[in-house]
Amino acid sequence: MIKKFIHQFASPKTFISKVDTYYNFIFYSALLIYVLSIIWGILFTPEDFVQGNSFRIIYLHVPASFLSQSLYLAMGICSITFLIWRVKLAAYLIVAIAPIGAMATFIALISGSIWGIPTWGTWWQWDARITSTLILFIMYLGLISLHSSFSNYEKADKLLSWLVIVGAINIPIIKKSVDWWSTLHQSASITLTDKPTIDPVMLYPLIGTVIGFFGLIICLVLLSSKNQILIREKNKSWVKDYV
Amino acid sequence: MINLIRLEFLKLRKKTRSWLGPIIVFLLIMIAYPLTVEFLQEKLEIGFFSVLWIAILISMMLATEDIFTEDFNDGFLELMVIQNSSFSLGVSIKVFAYWFLIGVPVSFLGFIFSYGTTGNFSLSISIFPLALISSYIFLNLFALGNSLSLNKGSVLGAIVTMPLALPVLIVLGKSLTALQLDINFLSFILLLLGSLSIIIVIIPLIVSYIIKAHLE
Amino acid sequence: MFNFAFNSFNEAIYMNGHGVFVWSVLIIVILTLYIFFISYIFKIKKIKKKLNESN
Repeated sequence: MIKKFIHQFASPKTFISKVDTYYNFIFYSALLIYVLSIIWGILFTPEDFVQGNSFRIIYLHVPASFLSQSLYLAMGICSITFLIWRVKLAAYLIVAIAPIGAMATFIALISGSIWGIPTWGTWWQWDARITSTLILFIMYLGLISLHSSFSNYEKADKLLSWLVIVGAINIPIIKKSVDWWSTLHQSASITLTDKPTIDPVMLYPLIGTVIGFFGLIICLVLLSSKNQILIREKNKSWVKDYV
Repeated sequence: MINLIRLEFLKLRKKTRSWLGPIIVFLLIMIAYPLTVEFLQEKLEIGFFSVLWIAILISMMLATEDIFTEDFNDGFLELMVIQNSSFSLGVSIKVFAYWFLIGVPVSFLGFIFSYGTTGNFSLSISIFPLALISSYIFLNLFALGNSLSLNKGSVLGAIVTMPLALPVLIVLGKSLTALQLDINFLSFILLLLGSLSIIIVIIPLIVSYIIKAHLE
Repeated sequence: MFNFAFNSFNEAIYMNGHGVFVWSVLIIVILTLYIFFISYIFKIKKIKKKLNESN
């Protein structure tokens, strides 16, 4: 039943038509939420008692950091879907997500480094979270280079899926690194299980930036997967009709 | 199965460069280490174990450089798939042969170097099982990398699987601290053994699927 | 909750010396997102054009 459901709703043709229908709505609402939350966070929240105004980088750093790990998990789910049910769209999504994940990780690293200068007094520290995030970035680059080194897409998709699944072992390590080691990096401000350690005045715009950034990243993934579909299915008759 | 084990050992023994090369590289790294920090006992002890783990990592990476390449090119892997024999078992045996001929000597040399550097026999003898287990884990991980990058050069395989070795390095670092402070060292050994027991089942299985994807 | 956190526009830019960090991160994030969006839109346009030509 699951297989039938997936195959019905995950045909590249259906996917592209859904992307075209909903893209503008997702993009403009995400952009609006993101811009408003950024303005709210940077200009309208009070100064942090300990970190001063540099704490405002949280509104740019946390969404990217959160998405860098979530995108890898999304790739893991797509890999399992592809290997078990042979859904082509899942394979396209893995390839589409990898560069976006690398971008989110890059933003998390750069923003974290810059935030480190006023708060820690150094732009780089061999801290557990920073090091594990750097490794995640290298993993994304490894995935991109693995896929691009094969001209046979079908083979490359399978190899990529296996590597994504094995590599998922690092995600809980990155997530838990700040709890397992006594490091410079602070513990997560928002978790699913505990009460947030951040004041609501600062928390609401943060939630807004996470939602807005998430929406923009979804838009990027949609664009990237559309690009993948057009490349891979270029010889199909529906693509010729579509363009 | 016995024939397969015998065949794998024979093949590896005949390829002298494949098993001797990584051992020599390990020796060279361990010999090069004192040259970079002056020959002072105190200074040598500070970074010794980090260098030891990284030397093991590098030598295992080199050991798996062409673990499947030759078999892939001469059609042996294809034959195994066609014969429908347990392919993942074949992979396990191959990795075991590499561990026995490369991982075990490297671990023993690690113990010797450790004793030579620290002069602490009980510490060095405890390093031995850590090196044995970690070298086996590294071999499995890099075998996965090699299977992914078959005929695409060993660098690609190393790049994509090196991050996977990170958790092992972390546990090795932590277990050494536990050993020096004499707390919970056994639990780290058990943790590594537990990881190894999962890895030696899962990795050969995944490698066999990957190689089948290459052969399709 | 919606009170402007600074006394003047200049103070908002300067942020007691932290402005350079906050604004540079903002510029990097916006630039990176912009480059990615533009590059994908351009790629899609390019492949559509190519497919149209081959039709």
